[in-house]
Amino acid sequence: MTMTTRREAMALISGALASTTLGGSAFAQAAPKKGGTLRISAPANPSSLDPATGGAGSDHAFLFTMYDTLVEWDFETLKPKPGLAESWKFTDPNTLVLNIRAGVTFHDGTPLDAEAVKFNLDRNRGDAKSNIKADLLSVASVEVTGPQQVTLKLKTPDTALPGILSDRAGMMVSPTALKAAEGGVVTRKPVGAGAYAFVSWADGEKIVVKRNEKYWKPDRPWPDGIEFSIIPELTTGARSVTAGQNDLIYQLPPRQKAIIERASSVKVVHGPTLYVLQIFLNWAKPPFDNVKVRQALNFAIDRESFVKAALAGLAEPAYMNLPKAHWAYDAEVAKLYPYDPDKARKLLAEAGFKEGTPIEVGGYPDQDSVQRQEILIEQLRKAGMNVRFVNAPIAEASAAFFGPEKKGAGLLSAWTGRPDPSLTYSLMFTKDAYYNGGRAPVPPELEAAIKESRASEDIDVRRKAFSIVQRLVMENAFVVPLAFQFELVAMNKKVQGYRPNLLGKPKYDDVWLEG
Amino acid sequence: MARRSPVKVIGSRLVQALPVILLATFMVFALLKLVPGDIAVTLAGDNATDARITEIRAIYGLDRPFLVQYGAWLGHVAQGDLSQSLLTGEKVAVSIGRAFPNTLLIVVIALVLALVTGIPMGVMAAIKPNGWVDKLISMIASLGVAVPGFWLAMILVAEFSLKLNWLPATGAKSFSASPIDAIRHALLPAIAIAAYGMAEVARQLRGALLEVLSSQYVRTLHAKGLSMSRILWQHGLKNVGVNLLTIISLLVNRMLAATVVIEAVFAIPGLGSLIVRGAIQRDFPIVQGVVFTMVVVVIAVNLITDLLCAAVDPRIEQ
Repeated sequence: MTMTTRREAMALISGALASTTLGGSAFAQAAPKKGGTLRISAPANPSSLDPATGGAGSDHAFLFTMYDTLVEWDFETLKPKPGLAESWKFTDPNTLVLNIRAGVTFHDGTPLDAEAVKFNLDRNRGDAKSNIKADLLSVASVEVTGPQQVTLKLKTPDTALPGILSDRAGMMVSPTALKAAEGGVVTRKPVGAGAYAFVSWADGEKIVVKRNEKYWKPDRPWPDGIEFSIIPELTTGARSVTAGQNDLIYQLPPRQKAIIERASSVKVVHGPTLYVLQIFLNWAKPPFDNVKVRQALNFAIDRESFVKAALAGLAEPAYMNLPKAHWAYDAEVAKLYPYDPDKARKLLAEAGFKEGTPIEVGGYPDQDSVQRQEILIEQLRKAGMNVRFVNAPIAEASAAFFGPEKKGAGLLSAWTGRPDPSLTYSLMFTKDAYYNGGRAPVPPELEAAIKESRASEDIDVRRKAFSIVQRLVMENAFVVPLAFQFELVAMNKKVQGYRPNLLGKPKYDDVWLEG
Repeated sequence: MARRSPVKVIGSRLVQALPVILLATFMVFALLKLVPGDIAVTLAGDNATDARITEIRAIYGLDRPFLVQYGAWLGHVAQGDLSQSLLTGEKVAVSIGRAFPNTLLIVVIALVLALVTGIPMGVMAAIKPNGWVDKLISMIASLGVAVPGFWLAMILVAEFSLKLNWLPATGAKSFSASPIDAIRHALLPAIAIAAYGMAEVARQLRGALLEVLSSQYVRTLHAKGLSMSRILWQHGLKNVGVNLLTIISLLVNRMLAATVVIEAVFAIPGLGSLIVRGAIQRDFPIVQGVVFTMVVVVIAVNLITDLLCAAVDPRIEQ
């Protein structure tokens, strides 16, 4: 659901009142047209342009332009929908048949057929350099069962697979390019079947892609190409858009909205995403080995105020790991932790936790993070909890908390969404998951419920399974979700057709340039 | 005493430079390994298991002893290969080759601006010490030293890019492709770091000139009836030449360091941005490559300064 900003709403109203308004772009529905170069300010150099070997969630903004996925998703709800696979079917719980769209070719002319798909899936789940082996763990074998058909034999039922195949694991790379590439990795020479073909990549500076003239989706893409300028300093990136050197910037922090809206040439769109700010907990050691202390923490946080104060209201309070718009959201689970500092104190007393005992929590030193910490410290103080944040750069703080060092009782960080919610839960709330910082066991019924959520293809059955998963996670208070941060994108008014999506990783499918 | 030939001076200085390069790169390498944070975690991606991270360490040789890793890097460098980014596989020499001209252009423009403004200021201040001109210049110089470059940079962008639209707010252009465009992009960042340089040149030059002007031979010159301007420009400046050269060499080194922050403000893909990215991601070949380049530049600047100083003032060689 895209929300128009107040400014745009005002423009609409004034446009409607003055029917003779000249070319009000929010008002006049001009037809999309081809041409122009979309210039985007991107916040991070990609870790790799090979979907199998990269690691950062920020890579997708580039990867999605060059690689099409077997499965795509609905922008608003993330329900899987056909992509390079025009249809799929679980013929039995352990067999997934994918029918591949005919006539699609990679940028180098290699046909995208069943063999190519098999080559990619086998590489993703078997190659030593692949970072996404874990995503395809349930696959026992991939068989070519027709010129445009592959059949996945599964070790265990896994209905999360369509969702998984809409992410890295489903990005198809030209087998010809992979076989020719040094080390079998196309980090710097990506060849996909996406809307844009790779032109060049200067590290930390610029990535250029151009229109794939043989793209299978009719009329797409509209622009001739995209130029990404890599500008890590978001304030600088935003300035480059106001100054007209770039057309669009994504993943802006909420505090930038008021600033960038002052520029008359710029419009802003935002929408909910799965990106959730949260406190990860180590429930293997005190004080969070006690469920009552963890619950107290959840009761002690006033999420509504947090969203207003720390995120300029551009977020949805989070009571679990899925936002309202998601197909598997459960309104009942969301009621578990209303703001109740007295209840928190009571739980702490029951747990024998001495009020004011310092609790060390890791965090990041950037301006936004520190502001969040200040608000949390104050909120928790009211419930008798004395939280101290120890800050370090992201890589360092994460490694210290999730890695072997096991530093701190918690980590104020965030969880980026996954196309299928079962991944979110299995990556954080199973015993050996990396994001289970303490590698402590979870209740067997939780592991079972996560497994159950992948057993059926029926969306209602899955929804029920996720209700159980979410309830168990939150009753055990294994995490403190805080807020789903909205995607905030600012762009020049000539950029049309951009829609935010629930995953929060930008796609430019319908974007075109006016004038 | 016979003067040593410049060739010999250069030769001996290069020999002395080697241990400096070794020490600097070794220390930075050690620091990178000492601070927490691990590139293997980044390389392993978002969903990594502990096993996967261990596997990554083995693939990239990150599990080898510290000294072996440093030795391997050094071995490559000795063969003229700065190796490649662990993360993206781009050759470090390619990254540096692209980034260095952007940084160099800013430093050169900044240096020219600092000298063009700082020298007249220093001279004017020294003509009448403690007069109102001197006081005004002292005040400007104090401001120049005190104002942080990044703050000045943002004010400059707000005024000259966003409001007046005279100069671009971000980015860099290749000098060889379009020199004018490149200078337009480099001008604001250069001004931002030149402010400090101008102040430094003015202050140091004033001090040095005052010393020269109070010396006995200047009194003699006065007695001979030479005009103040002739004394200043012909005799005064010549005698502070060595001071000026030293200031310049210190400034170049300081400005190189200042680009780290300024490049972030202007999103300029230069050496500063490169080393910051490398350090944050623990991509040590990049950090090592940039440190190596910086050390070589600093040594070269010092060497050239020494040679020039010797040329200006022959007493230095003795």
